[in-house]
Amino acid sequence: MIKKIYLIGNPNVGKSVVFSRLTGVHVISSNYPGTTVELIKGYLSLRDEKVEVVDLPGTYSLEPTSSAEEVAVSLLKEYPKNEIVVVNILDSTNLERNLLLTLQLIEEGFPTIACLNMCDDAVHRGVHIDIKKLEEILHIPVISTCAVTGVGIKLLIDRIKETVPVLREKLSHEERWKEIGHIIEQVQHLEHRHHRLREVLEDASVRPLTGLLMASGAIYVSFKIVRFIGEFIINKITDPFFYSTYQNLLEKLTIHWQEKSFLFHLLIGDLVNGKIDFKQSLGVLTTAPYIEFGMVLPYVISFYFVLSLLEDIGYLPRLAILLDNLLHRLGLHGYAIIPVLLGFGCNVPGILSTRVLESKRERFIASTIISIGVPCVPLQAMIIGLLGTFGGFYVGGVYLVLFSIILVLGVILNRVLPGYSPEFLLEIPPYRFPPVAILGKKLYFRIKSFLVEAVPIVLIGVLVINILLYFKLFDIITSISAPVIHGLFGLPKEAIVSLVIGFLRKDVAVGMLAPLGLSAKQLFIAATLLAISFPCIATFIILWKELGLKDLIKSALIMLGISLIVGTALNFVVLR
Amino acid sequence: MKANHKGKVIEILGGTNLQERLMNMGVYVGKEVTKLSHIGLRGPIVIKSGRSNFALGHGVAAKVILERE
Repeated sequence: MIKKIYLIGNPNVGKSVVFSRLTGVHVISSNYPGTTVELIKGYLSLRDEKVEVVDLPGTYSLEPTSSAEEVAVSLLKEYPKNEIVVVNILDSTNLERNLLLTLQLIEEGFPTIACLNMCDDAVHRGVHIDIKKLEEILHIPVISTCAVTGVGIKLLIDRIKETVPVLREKLSHEERWKEIGHIIEQVQHLEHRHHRLREVLEDASVRPLTGLLMASGAIYVSFKIVRFIGEFIINKITDPFFYSTYQNLLEKLTIHWQEKSFLFHLLIGDLVNGKIDFKQSLGVLTTAPYIEFGMVLPYVISFYFVLSLLEDIGYLPRLAILLDNLLHRLGLHGYAIIPVLLGFGCNVPGILSTRVLESKRERFIASTIISIGVPCVPLQAMIIGLLGTFGGFYVGGVYLVLFSIILVLGVILNRVLPGYSPEFLLEIPPYRFPPVAILGKKLYFRIKSFLVEAVPIVLIGVLVINILLYFKLFDIITSISAPVIHGLFGLPKEAIVSLVIGFLRKDVAVGMLAPLGLSAKQLFIAATLLAISFPCIATFIILWKELGLKDLIKSALIMLGISLIVGTALNFVVLR
Repeated sequence: MKANHKGKVIEILGGTNLQERLMNMGVYVGKEVTKLSHIGLRGPIVIKSGRSNFALGHGVAAKVILERE
């Protein structure tokens, strides 16, 4: 009786892709070690029975050396060995290193099936493996698969039932590597190949000079593409729709409504010069959908398109190497660039992925930096949409301020917090070019989860805000906070409403600033404050879960302090 | 050691945890590795061991003693 199937393997061998193929559950997969930081479960039908499949975080060995590896290993021991099957996934292009774990699994007596993944890539690289021979040597079923295209998955499912524990002598580490050497000699045949363009690029991107050139190029091109696609969607698709079709429709529907009635206030909002203004009316049917679909969604699409591409090609670990120096000064190591980049999409997955960092200290620094200095796509899109009308200078200014805050805060935290920043030890994946279908699917799931999470909150949020505004319930907070908002930050006192809403969603919060008629300087300060002050509620909950209450409070106090200092400084010193 | 040179690991200093981690990744005493590059100013070092590339932080790299071939 098989009760559970575990997928285990070295980092970045494609466990999550195999998992998706087996269970039909979509999981985000990328070309760098540590994409899966949570345990993910799904079901596979085996002989009309549903068996739970668990995708374990990547591990090099059954003797764990990091917390993610510990999780993987301890889970394997949860059930008796005769009730589970271990699907050991290996990278065919790198059989030697992967076999260590396979031997350990067999020695420990786990019923194991080996799945040599990425067989297509192996062929491209001139690596030929004699599967039959490997089966004979290991005495376990060995299957060659290519999970991205689905080759071999059916065979894998068929043979899962065949797995039985086999007896194998326990070896020491040194003996095991020797044994692996023998196995490799018998089953692997390497075709000698000249360096291809791909290998030349792989090498060039980790050398200091060419690497930096490539990194600047990659970052520049990424920005350009994100802006180009975002603006293209706005100018060619969403704006024409909103300003002609949708506006006409709304005006026809509401022609007989009383402008000052409660319902009109809720759904349409305030008219500007007798017309609906999508940026300023603040109605549930006007500004709310325009913010989400007309301003934010286009950039969500373009940002995740570029990020997914960079992830799947495998460029990010190389960027991590080049930035290791800089990030060391902030108490982190190079790999922290991955949570930070994910944070630019949405802070929540960014903070979740700080689990790839080893120590609690690093996770605290990285999470705090992300929630203060890294604006999410919705916030950025709104800043570009509103502040951009005053000129790119101001938008650039916001990024400059945020970047300086990250640097200063990181250096200070690194000095103040006890402990040291650990060294970095990372496997660099080869470049891979994902099939368009895989990329499209990943993009689709990311956009879908954005829509599912954001749209209801935005609609309900705008509704609640409008009710509160209608009954003037914000007036109390407004007058209490006026000395700080007006006195220190130089903003009209009504801007507090926006800062409070920022706790709910950042994009709506920036939208709330539009009707206030702020000057460029005021909008600049307010937008910067929205980025650095409290993160939105979703991020807050994740911070709480990941850091614990004590560190959350520490982090929140840092946010408040920085908001006060930076807001005042910008108002009085920098922009007079 | 300079870039593109091969060497044999003769000793790994430092704690057992580091030795284990490197051992699990296939870098152990007696193993032949190639240094690919070094990012300046105490930056990481990239080595090739078997068919995989690894980036080692400067501090880690300083503990892996190689004998040049």
